[in-house]
Amino acid sequence: MNPFLGIREGFREIYAHKFRSFLTMLGVILGVASLMAMYALTEGMAEGSRQRLTESGGVERVRIIKAEVPPEQEEIAEISPGLTYTDAKALRENTTLLSAIAPQVGHGGNIVRGGRKYNPRLQGIEPDTYITDKHNVVQGRFITDLDVERRHRVIVIGQTVVENLYDESEYEQILGSLIHINGEPFTVVGVLEHYKTEQQKRREATDRAAAQKERRKRLGGRNRSWDPFWFKNRLAAIPITTMQQVFKSSYEVDGVNLGADRSLSDMYVQVADLERFDEAIEQIRNVLDTTHKGIQDYGFETRQDWFENIEAGVRAAQLTGGLIAGISLLVGGIGITNIMLASITERIREIGIRRAVGATQLDIFVQIVIESLVLAIIGGLLGIGAGLGLIEGLQVLAGQGADPPILKADAIVISLAFAVTVGLVAGLYPAYKASRLSPIQALRYE
Amino acid sequence: MALIEIENVRKTYQVGEQEIQALAGVNAQIEEGEYLSIIGPSGSGKSTMMQLIGCLDIPTSGRIVLDGVDISKASNNLLSRMRNTRIGFVFQSFNLLAKLNILENVELPMIYSGLSTRERKQRARDAIEAVGLSERIRNRPSQLSGGQCQRVAIARALVNKPKIILADEPTGALDSATGEMILNLFRSLHQQGNTVALVTHDPDIAMETPRRIELRDGNIVSGAQSHYQRFRDQASAAPAVQAIPPAS
Repeated sequence: MNPFLGIREGFREIYAHKFRSFLTMLGVILGVASLMAMYALTEGMAEGSRQRLTESGGVERVRIIKAEVPPEQEEIAEISPGLTYTDAKALRENTTLLSAIAPQVGHGGNIVRGGRKYNPRLQGIEPDTYITDKHNVVQGRFITDLDVERRHRVIVIGQTVVENLYDESEYEQILGSLIHINGEPFTVVGVLEHYKTEQQKRREATDRAAAQKERRKRLGGRNRSWDPFWFKNRLAAIPITTMQQVFKSSYEVDGVNLGADRSLSDMYVQVADLERFDEAIEQIRNVLDTTHKGIQDYGFETRQDWFENIEAGVRAAQLTGGLIAGISLLVGGIGITNIMLASITERIREIGIRRAVGATQLDIFVQIVIESLVLAIIGGLLGIGAGLGLIEGLQVLAGQGADPPILKADAIVISLAFAVTVGLVAGLYPAYKASRLSPIQALRYE
Repeated sequence: MALIEIENVRKTYQVGEQEIQALAGVNAQIEEGEYLSIIGPSGSGKSTMMQLIGCLDIPTSGRIVLDGVDISKASNNLLSRMRNTRIGFVFQSFNLLAKLNILENVELPMIYSGLSTRERKQRARDAIEAVGLSERIRNRPSQLSGGQCQRVAIARALVNKPKIILADEPTGALDSATGEMILNLFRSLHQQGNTVALVTHDPDIAMETPRRIELRDGNIVSGAQSHYQRFRDQASAAPAVQAIPPAS
């Protein structure tokens, strides 16, 4: 029999029992929809994490952290000066595989301007932070080498700082304005870009009202957890040397003033060539072993771990979601098998007639399988529709908090392929049963 | 060589512990263009005979040759193919598919012989025209009378130009006037050169045909034992209705 005729027959059969067919398809519809939604959700999660990773420095960025001293060095740990500005200088002079070295010193402080007060993330930095932290200046300039060398009292501020210290009408006059940090005067020389996730940008592009609302929310300081750039936008950066001179001018141990505090709160480096990542780490280790007098009181926090964590997390989510969607598809398949079995019992006589006029066992088999396939494919297509709806719904439900689901074409293709497979497998047993019916028995059946 | 040659054909069925002999070594020949009836009471084996000739089943032993093809040990596929190309079935209960219209019902056998859509439609229309139902082509079987349904079934049986038309109690579900019309249709099919076999238990219908194969208990009977013969003898010996002697 011509397969097209089989498909027509399949449609006819489904149309003849519309409601029953719909109920039968329901399992497949839900399975496909949840499979699609799951793919879109995990893809969104992965994409969001990858984005945060790249925008906060990418895999090339390595953070040098203070680490627990190994037990055998505990006794002599104090001979190491710890993470200091000297380390940054030593690294700059003695390594070849790093493209940026960014020592940072953090300090608590309030910025006061006019009658307003704000508590920013105050950091003493060097120009390399521009590279490691992927900054972008929209007004004025960043901290320069000259600023560092001359210990200028200049400051570069982030957008959240701007929003809290200036009226919108004053935005043109930010550069050159004077602000006080813990009573010390600084001149604003640069304003940083407003860092946003792709998702925020998209939403703002499509919906201005939502953007407004979002900004109000941000001003209210709520929803911090979901904004990966909350920290970055709160930055108030001054030259590292200025920081040391103004806010860390004395460092007392047991009442003895040891002079300026040269210790760093953070140090970031950027590896020039990812291919030689391990080599670069080795170089840093060599330098720091010297400056720390062999004490292993430092460690590395690389983004590669993070990156792998993202991938592993996504895989786990996909597996869980896939399992659930798979089970519902399986249930859908069982539903199809069940209905097809009932349907062939109902149609024993029809099968007998078809056999009598010349249908072979294979013809009957193919007819039933095609019917089951048509059922599953229609279910699959409806499922894709339902999936699109579901994704839309999840987007609203998740609100601005979560990463938006991303629907890729392959999620649709895979879901539909699953539906087709389910339809095929579900039809096999009923089709086999139908094809084995003896034509004589089938014709006699009332 | 005859169209159908039946040589020493046996058919036994296993029903539980019991073995039932439906045909006990039957020999017969059917020539091309013949018009015959296969007659016998229920349980005589006539249905089994029809199933064997109709390629719905194969004999337990013996040999059946249909149109030069030995079908006594044929595979399932060969049987399907033979039914499709050599046999036209007409059933007591019409056996039309309720969800298909008349045209599609008549098309059905050709779907399985792989004819093109256009040829299928043409031949189906011709066959429906031949039984005089052209104006009902889009109707469903449920919208037709019993006689019309049987004519559709006959059109379906004819559409693949079979070697033999097997009609199993074709008038059984019809009133006598309609039954008469269907029998006329078979007669004219025979006159056009078709081989037609009526399978029936009704001697009245069997009388239609020039030749009868009479079965009883799985054997072919003839001559004096023939039920049909006795029926005719009785009919000629005594008047059908005896006159009531006048009261004196």
